[in-house]
Formats: sequence, structure tokens, C-alpha cells
Amino acid sequence: MKLIFEKSIKDRDGYSLPGDLFKEIKIEDCLPEYAISKKKKLLSEVSEVDVVRHFTKLSKLNYGLDDGFYPLGSCTMKYNPKINEKLASLNNFTYAHPLAPEETVQGSLEIIYDLNKLLCEITAMDEYTMAPAAGAHGELTGNLIMRKYFVDRGDKRHKMLIPDSAHGTNPASAAMADFQVVEVKSNERGTVDLTELARLMDKDTVGLMLTNPNTVGLYDEGIKNIEKIVHHKGGLLYYDGANLNASLGIIRPGDAGFDVVHLNLHKTFSTPHGGGGPGAGVIGVKKDLIPYLPTPIVAFDSTHKKYYLLDLGSKSIGMVRAFWSNFPVLIKTYVWILSMGPDGLYNASETSIINANYVLAKLKKYYKPAYDRYCGHECTVTGKEYKKYGVKTLDIAKRLMDYGMHPPTIYFPHFEPYAEETIMVEPPESESKEMLDKFIEIMIKISNEAKTNPELLTTAPHNTPIRRTNDLVAAKRPILTYDDELKLKDELKYKDKNIDF
Amino acid sequence: MRYIPNTEEQKKEMLKEIGVSSFDDLIKEGVPQSIRLKGKLNIPEARSETELEEKIYNIAQKNSNFYLMKPLIGAGAYRHYIPEAEKFLLQREEFWTCYTPYQPELSQGTLQSIFEYQSYISRLIKMEAVIPSIYDGASATAEAALMSLRLTHKNKIMVSNLVHPHYRETVKTYLAPHEPEIIELPYKNGLVDLEKLKILINEDVASVIIQNPNFFGGIEKLAEISEIVHSKDALLIMVIAESISLGVLKAPGDIGADIVTGNAQSFGMDLNYGGPYNAYLATKKEYIRQLPGRIIGETTDVDGKRVFVMTLRAREQDIRRERATSNICTNHNLNVIAADIFLSLIGTKGLYQISLLNTKSAHYLENLLLKSKKFEKIFDYPFYNEFLLKSKEDIATINKKLLENNFVPPLKICEFYKEENLKNVLLFAVTEVLSRDNLNKVAKILSE
Repeated sequence: MKLIFEKSIKDRDGYSLPGDLFKEIKIEDCLPEYAISKKKKLLSEVSEVDVVRHFTKLSKLNYGLDDGFYPLGSCTMKYNPKINEKLASLNNFTYAHPLAPEETVQGSLEIIYDLNKLLCEITAMDEYTMAPAAGAHGELTGNLIMRKYFVDRGDKRHKMLIPDSAHGTNPASAAMADFQVVEVKSNERGTVDLTELARLMDKDTVGLMLTNPNTVGLYDEGIKNIEKIVHHKGGLLYYDGANLNASLGIIRPGDAGFDVVHLNLHKTFSTPHGGGGPGAGVIGVKKDLIPYLPTPIVAFDSTHKKYYLLDLGSKSIGMVRAFWSNFPVLIKTYVWILSMGPDGLYNASETSIINANYVLAKLKKYYKPAYDRYCGHECTVTGKEYKKYGVKTLDIAKRLMDYGMHPPTIYFPHFEPYAEETIMVEPPESESKEMLDKFIEIMIKISNEAKTNPELLTTAPHNTPIRRTNDLVAAKRPILTYDDELKLKDELKYKDKNIDF
Repeated sequence: MRYIPNTEEQKKEMLKEIGVSSFDDLIKEGVPQSIRLKGKLNIPEARSETELEEKIYNIAQKNSNFYLMKPLIGAGAYRHYIPEAEKFLLQREEFWTCYTPYQPELSQGTLQSIFEYQSYISRLIKMEAVIPSIYDGASATAEAALMSLRLTHKNKIMVSNLVHPHYRETVKTYLAPHEPEIIELPYKNGLVDLEKLKILINEDVASVIIQNPNFFGGIEKLAEISEIVHSKDALLIMVIAESISLGVLKAPGDIGADIVTGNAQSFGMDLNYGGPYNAYLATKKEYIRQLPGRIIGETTDVDGKRVFVMTLRAREQDIRRERATSNICTNHNLNVIAADIFLSLIGTKGLYQISLLNTKSAHYLENLLLKSKKFEKIFDYPFYNEFLLKSKEDIATINKKLLENNFVPPLKICEFYKEENLKNVLLFAVTEVLSRDNLNKVAKILSE
């Protein structure tokens, strides 16, 4: 498909502004000569009609959640309710300036305050910061909180324990907090090896970052012992909330002894992913850690009946972003929780766990589970049986596209000997039994194809907007802009990037 | 529950297929009874859609009617007109409801749009490689600072005091674990103090962070700054908090910037009480291996078709884990699509016109306010669309008058700067949403 630049026609307009209302003022009287650009910066010149058709066409090259099954493991691609979008886009919210006087934004502050209370109850934590913009941002914030907590105590801990099954963001976040990452091996049941944990957990160790259920979709049954081992050595327990969708109303991280929790509101709490954000990675902490949260938090002044931004003072790790939060994501979360209620939240986790185990039960004859036990809200199976036919997990995933489905997460997690050629399926509560049956039927069909006609898989997909991409070329000789492409084509007519005034 | 299709009957059937008698049976192994939640969560019972709508509408009424209130405040968040076509296109579920584009065959819409945006930003700021999406201007600036430490292997950063206060705070937070020395670069008469810069800088400095236009709206002498910074082999990180200014101002890449971070909120993003916005982080091709975050590149598919993919992935957390250049994963891609649509709509001419109009209207208002004799200049400095004026009247009185007349008051600069001479000083911002009539009205209200 053409790029917007290739549709550009000189002098075409896609925008209207009031005419020059300040003809008497000359730009030279406002700005110093050294600052003014001598040339106009070239964007594109297209009409509103061109733009609308261009982006409508682009959108049709995407596959969204509303198009069908989207079982990405550890991503919780659940339905995004439409009422949430509407209520998050009310003018009084969307036009509110972040530095407007507090008395003009009492509604926004009330939502943040109330949501904090709800999240605290759902996870058994004492206070949340809404600042982090994404899961990894929350992880960084959480790590910085733990770091400051120990620094203030004159405790020079510098190691962070992270299971081999953890998301890549965990070690990367810990490294950003300048912690030395120590990997904890998983046992044959796919969970943290307690002996190994006890050996590694020492007085130099900040604590453990844990996802529960973990990234292979398995609950850590030893959670109580894990908690004891970490706390006994004075460490802190960090909960990666990527998989909270298996826990609503069933188990609360705070009750299990976690000290710091991050939640991906764009996963468990139904807000859309937007093709890679914006989400929100809010962080909840236990009482002792509240002073270390990023400043400010929203508080309520009961004397004057007013919400306000409370500066947390010198113990706070400081700010992790400009302003306060990804606010519309918070509204959507708030609305979702209220629309579900306690029974709805429990139902969500219960259904997603049943869904995942149903898929596992039906598929395990064809794709071996990485671990033979019941799973949480996602199941991990492997495609390694098909290697002998020359078929990789990647090929199975691509073949699924031909049947109109988004593939599950593949090649994650990856650690030997259990997790190889992995296929991680997460069918959230918003997927019906009929949809799962359809998926199971297709997966079985693909397993037969792998044996009888492997080429069908290795050359898949066949009927998507584009086919397999040459990623090596992209990395070796990066074309990162349209101008790179033009330079490469050595288009002489495009010698000058600028137009003269 | 309307978002959960499976009925109780279906769930029973599925449990049977799984081979367990009940849900409790299914999870008893993974979740020991001793830590299971006893009873129900203590949150309000489920509400119907109509009850919810009413509740949220009522809460929204506790905010002012911001649509009607024209802002005289900017300070890193600017209200610009957003064309309806953009808002309409952004509603498409194909953009909204999909995940990060790991599968290019099903994500060309998102991927191509991001590639177009990278191309636009590259032209605007004259940098070769553009990371399209860090969370916001503050986190992007912090990532740029970290990147400069990696590139130079030095451990000293100099930050202009006229970089947005939240950005400076965020840089400090991100850098704290690495214990670098952070040197504050003072200002003089509303701009970076060049003499101080010359004195303070030395070969140990990794980078110097300068915002332009600066937090006071001032236009920095970048060419001179660049010369001083580069004479000591430091990197120049240029921060842009108001990207519309690029319509009239020189491109940072043309004046010596090594890394550029820019808040892209002005490119078609609502104020939303502070986020989500978006920021780009750009540099020269020689530095791309140290860039944090995701970038889109062009390649071909097996049929030879031009296609777009996530590229240079070997820097990223999901591959490199603790050795990644950053932990960033989910970012603000939908905001990138918004900005791509916005820039496509306003086009070459529109960007210049908006930028020009913002410059002129700000100067028009400043002039009116000075004429009223109720305000005076505290610095004599060139500015873009934000400027400082000292009020002779009490600020609380001014704010009250402005709010009554549906204007969001300007920023009290003393909230961020404690200098004696900045007491009772306001930072005004003007964009195209304030008409000439609006500005005349502001001047009239404030002269009374």
C-alpha cells in the first residue's frame, strides 16, 4: 500500500485555520533571526478525504480483538467494553489541563481516589500510584521504590532474584535500578525451585520478582514458602501483575505476602491495548512503602470535602513521568470494575481458568503440554513434536492466520528442557466455548497438515494482506523513514528535502 | 454478565471435559486453601450500563466545563484544535483493540502508520533515526540521559534549569541508581546562562540537556550552546515540550543536537488531565544500537511486496533481558497513530500556519497585557508562545476573574521556581484555540 507521502499533491489542504488574524504582526518582530527556519518543513499535502481513505484502508490491514479470537498468552486480550470508551471521552475529562486549579478537576481526582480504594481491596494492598504508563514502567517504579527503601535503611542490597520463566521486562527493569540480576531456575513442575531460592536469597538480595500464575500459566503452589524465605532474609516480594486475570476474587497478592504489586490495567482490567499502548502499569504497595511512591498521590481532605494532590516529600523516589497518570485508562478501569462487581470479577477469573484448562485438555493429545498439570488462565504447550516433519512452532502460528485467527504467543517463555517451541494460549473470559471449539478444531487440523503437507505450513500464511517478511534485511540495512527509502532508490528528483518560503 | 458469554451450564460441561468435578477441584493444587480469599471482594455490586453512565456523568460534572474554558496555561500540555477526522478515524477498532505488532502479517496498518510518523518526525527535527514512542517527554528525556551515559562512558550530566521541572525530576529519578553527578545549569534573563555553561562544562560531562523553547517559553541560542557543548566532547540533548513550534523554528538536527526528545502531545492528543501523551526520541544513525524502545523498518515479504516490521530488535528487553538498552515494552502506539493522522491532515502548510499563529497571538497578548500597565516584564527575552509577566495584582484575584470568565488561568511560576523575583509571576501560553476576541477579552478582564 502507498505511503501518505506518495499520495501528496502540491497545494492540497487537509485542514482549515482561521485566516491570519494578526496581519499587523510580523514574524521577524516576534522571533530572533537565529531561531527562524528559513525553509518550510515538508510533511505531506493531502486532503481530508485522502486522509480518511488512507487510514481506513490502513486499519483494514490490522487484525483487532473485535475481529475475532486473539489468544496471546500473558497479554490478556479480553473484550474492551464500548461504554468504557464513551465515558472516558467525556469533554469534562478530555479537555482538563493537568495543571488546572484543583477545584476545577474534583471529578477527575475523585475517580483516581476511588479507583485506588477499589484496587487496594482487589489486591489487598494499602496504596497505589497511578503514575506508571505501562507494565515495564511500573516495574521500574517498583524497583526504584524497593531500592530507596533499603538505601534509607542503610542496607546495601544489590541483587534481585528473577525466575527463568519471567518476562524479559523483569530483568531489564531490575537492571535499570542498577540491581544485579540473579536467575532462579524453575523445577520440573514449572515453578520456583525452593531449595534454589533458599540458597540464593541472602542479605545482599533485595528480593524476588514473581509472576503468579507464572508465565507458563502455572500457579506457584509454594507461594507461602517463597514468602517465608524472602521475608526471613529481610527481602521484599514483588508481584508482576501481568497474569492477575487468574486471581480476581480467588487469591490476593497482598494476602500472599507481596509487598509491591504492579497491575497492567490494559490486561486484566479490560482497557484496550491500542496496538502497543497506551496502557497503565499502576503500582500498589504495603503501608511501609507508601512514603516511597512517586509523588504526588491523590488524597481527600475530609474537613473541606476536597480531593487534592499530596506531595509525598523527600522519601518519595520522585516523579517517573510528567503529570499524573494515563487518566482515560483509569476511567475505563473504574467503569469496568463497577460493571463487574465482586461476582463478575470472580466469574471473569473462574471462566478464564476453565477456558484455558479446556483448551489444554482438548489439545494435549496433539500438542504436548510443557508441564502435565492443570493450568491457570493460560496454558503452555509445545510444537516440538512436529520438528521431525520440518515444521516449527512459528509455522503453526502463521498457518493459524490462514484460518482467520490471531496466533497465540510463541517462543515465550523459552528455557530448557521444558519450554521449547512453546505455544502459549490465553483464552480470556470473553471467549465463548464455541470459539474455543473452533480454535481447537483448527489446531487439530493444522497438526494433521503438519504431518501430511508440511509445506502448507512452512509457506504460510497464504491469505493475509502480506506474507512472511524478511526481517534480517530490515535489521542489516535499516530503512527507518521514507527518506531512507528514497535515498536508497537514489531518486534525484528528491534532492532537496525542503521547499523555499 | 454481558462480557462473559459462557453460561453456568457450559462451564459445567467444560469442567467435565477437563475431568474435574468442580472449579475448586481444578485450582486446589495451584492455590492452597490457606491463602484463598474467604468470602467475596468488598467492592460495590455490579451496576447496569445505564446506572454506570449516570454515575460517571455526575462525577464528570464535578469538573469544570473544560470544553468551554480556554486555557491560558501550557507548561508542557497544550490545547490545540484536533480535527474531527482524526478523532473519527481513531475510533476504528482495528487500531484500538490490537496488541503490539509482533505479527506483521496482521498488523500492517499499525506498522505503516508508525513508519510514516517516524518519517514525519525525521523531517521535522532533521534526525536520522526516530524512536516513535516513549511514554512522554519526561521519560523520553530520562532515557536520552541514560543513553548518553552508555554512549560516552562518562557519569556526569548537565541539565538546564529551564527544562520542564517534571522532566528534570524524572531524569533524577531514572538516573538515581547509577549515581551520576547531575549539574544544574542556571539561567540568566530567561535563557540558559552561556557564561556559566562555559565555566561548568568539562570533558567529564556526558551530555547537556537543553529545552527549546525553554520552560519560560524562551528561545535558546542553540548554535552557541552547541559549540560550547561539543568543544568539550559532550553530547547535546535537545528537549522539545511543544512540538508545534517546529513549524517556525529551526530543526534541532540543523543546529547540532545529538539526541532529540520531543513531547508530541500537541500533534493531535487531548489534554486528558496529563496523559497519555507521547514522545519521540531521535538520534543519528551512528548511535542507533544504543536507542531504547521500538522502531519500525521497511523490508519486503516473500512476494517482494514492500512491508513494515519491528526492527533492530536485538536491543530490546524480550531478547536481551537485563542487557537491554531499556525495559520499555508497551508504549503509546495509538498516540503515534493519532499524531500520524494529525500531521497528515495539517500538512506542510498547516503546521507552519498553526506555529506562526501561535507565535503571533502570544506576542499580541503580551503586548496588550503590558499596555494595561497591570503587568510588567521581568526578563527581556525572545519567546515562542509562552511568556512570563509579573502581575501587580494579587494572583488569586486574577485567577478568580479568569475562571469566572471561562479561562483556565496561567501557571503561577512560583509553584516550580522559588526565586524571589519570580513571586507573583505568571507563565502565559497561547495557542490557536484562543481567538483574537478571546485575547482581547482576557486583556480587558485583567486590566479592570
